[in-house]
Amino acid sequence: MNQAVISCLHANLPAVEAVLKDIELQGITNITCLGDLVGYGPQPNEVIELIRDKQIPTCQGCWDEDVIDGLDACDCSYPSQLAEKRGHFAHQWTTNKLTKENKDYLANLPYSIRKDKCLFVHGSPNSQHEYLLPDMDAFAALERVENARAEILFCGHTHQPYIRELADGLIAVKIKNAVPKDTQEKEIQLPMRRIVNAGSVGEPRHGGTKATYVVYNDVTNEVKIREVEYDIELTCKAIIDAGLPPIFAWRLKNGFEFAEQAEDASHVCER
Amino acid sequence: MIERWALVSGLKGDLDTYELIQKDLKKTPGNITLFVLGDMIGPEKNCNRLLHRLINPKSNDLQPWCIYGWWEEQILLESGYRGDQRAEALRINKGEEVVKSLTNAVDKSFLDWIAALQFGFVELDCGLIHGSSKDVGENLTLDTPPLTLLDRLTRLQVNRLFTARSTQQFHLELTEGILNSEVHDLTGNHKKEQKVPQKAVIGVGAGKNYTLYDVGTDNTQFLRAGYQSEKKTKGFGLHF
Repeated sequence: MNQAVISCLHANLPAVEAVLKDIELQGITNITCLGDLVGYGPQPNEVIELIRDKQIPTCQGCWDEDVIDGLDACDCSYPSQLAEKRGHFAHQWTTNKLTKENKDYLANLPYSIRKDKCLFVHGSPNSQHEYLLPDMDAFAALERVENARAEILFCGHTHQPYIRELADGLIAVKIKNAVPKDTQEKEIQLPMRRIVNAGSVGEPRHGGTKATYVVYNDVTNEVKIREVEYDIELTCKAIIDAGLPPIFAWRLKNGFEFAEQAEDASHVCER
Repeated sequence: MIERWALVSGLKGDLDTYELIQKDLKKTPGNITLFVLGDMIGPEKNCNRLLHRLINPKSNDLQPWCIYGWWEEQILLESGYRGDQRAEALRINKGEEVVKSLTNAVDKSFLDWIAALQFGFVELDCGLIHGSSKDVGENLTLDTPPLTLLDRLTRLQVNRLFTARSTQQFHLELTEGILNSEVHDLTGNHKKEQKVPQKAVIGVGAGKNYTLYDVGTDNTQFLRAGYQSEKKTKGFGLHF
C-alpha cells in the first residue's frame, strides 16, 4: 500500500494544497507529516488548520517547537548573523500571528511517530534540530536508524529529498589487554537500513523550485521522490504583503539552494 | 623519554587513594601526564580535602588535569549552575538523602572551580572524557554495540576514546569497518563505500583502578593503586 510522507511545509499554503492534490490524484489516503508547519512562510494558521482538518498524523518540527518554547536553538543553526536575524524576525512574526488554538496544537505534537518498522521524525531520532544530510558519515547515519530500533527512518529538516540505503556493513572488534589475558576478536555484520528524507513542501532547497515529498510502498519497499509545481508567485506576493523578509520570496522563486542550516550537520543544539 | 598518560577517575573524595596513585606514579618511568576524568566528588565522604589537593598540588605531586564527571554534573545542577534544572535524575534514582549528602560533601567555595572544568580533553587523536561524547552519564562498556562506539568516536573526531563512567577497565579496538552507502536524489544515484581506520575505546577504571597509556606504543596497562608495594610484601605478579 502506498503512503505519502510530507515535511517542512513552512506556512506555504499554495504549495501544501498542490502537494495534497497530487497525493489525492494518486489515490493515496495514508499521509504522515514530519513537521515544520510554520516558519518563513506567510500562512501559518491556514496551513495548520488544513493539516488538522485532514487529520494528518504529524510530528513536531524545530520551528513548531521553537514558536512554542521560545528560540532556544543555538546560533549554529544559521550560516550567518544576517540569516539569524531574519530567522528571529520570522519566528517573532509567526508567534504573533498564530492563534492560541494552533499554538496548543503545535505544542502537543509528538517528537516521533512509529508505524511497524518505520520511524518518522523531523530532524533525527536525537533532536528536531539535527540534520541528517545525504553525505553524512555512513556509520553515524546507520547508528541513528539502528539505535532508534527502526528499519526505515523518515526525516525532513534538510529540505533536500533523498533515499539512502546503508548495506553490507561490517565492523571487526578486538579486545586487547583482556582479563584473562587472551585476546578476543569478532566480526559483527551490520543490518541493512534506509533513511528517507521527504524534502520540503513549502521551502525547497534542492536547487529547483518545485515542492517535494515521497511516496513509500510498504509492500514493495519502493520509495519515490515526487516533485510538484505550485503557484510560487502567489506565495511570494503573500510573503511581501505580510512584511516578511523579501529574500524568503526571492529564494522560493529562484530555487536557490540557500540553506539556513548548521555547517556541522551532525551538530545537536545544546538546550 | 617515554611519554605516558595516567588516567584516573571515580576518586569520590578519597584523598588516600589519590595519594597512593601519586606515589605509584612517582616510581613509574617516563614522562607522565596525569588526567583525572571526573567523579572527583561523591556523596559518600567529605570531598573538600581531595578538592583542595587537586587545586593546590603539593610541590612533588604530578599536576592533575581534571574534567567534570557525572557527580560533578549533579552538584552543578543542584546548585543552580545549569539554569532552572536540578539534579532530578539523581533525586529519582537515589533519593533526597543522597542529594543532600552530595551537597554536604562539597564546600560551596569549590563550586566555581568545578563549574569551570571542561567536558573533556582532546590530546593528539585521543578524546579523554568521563562518559561519552553524547552524554557525561553514558556508560560505554565492552557490551556497547560497536556502531554506538564508532558514533561516539566520530562525534569527537578522534581515533581513541578514553572513558571512565562505566568504572570498567578495557581496551576495545575497532580494527576494521566497512559500509556501503547508496544515495538516490533528484540528480541520480551516488554510491560510496566507506571504511574506518583502526580506532579504540578504552575504559580507564575508577577509584584505585587506574590506567597507564603509552602514547608511543598505544599500549595500556590496567593498574591498582598501591599494588606494586603490596606485591613486594605478598609476592603477587603485576596484574597487567
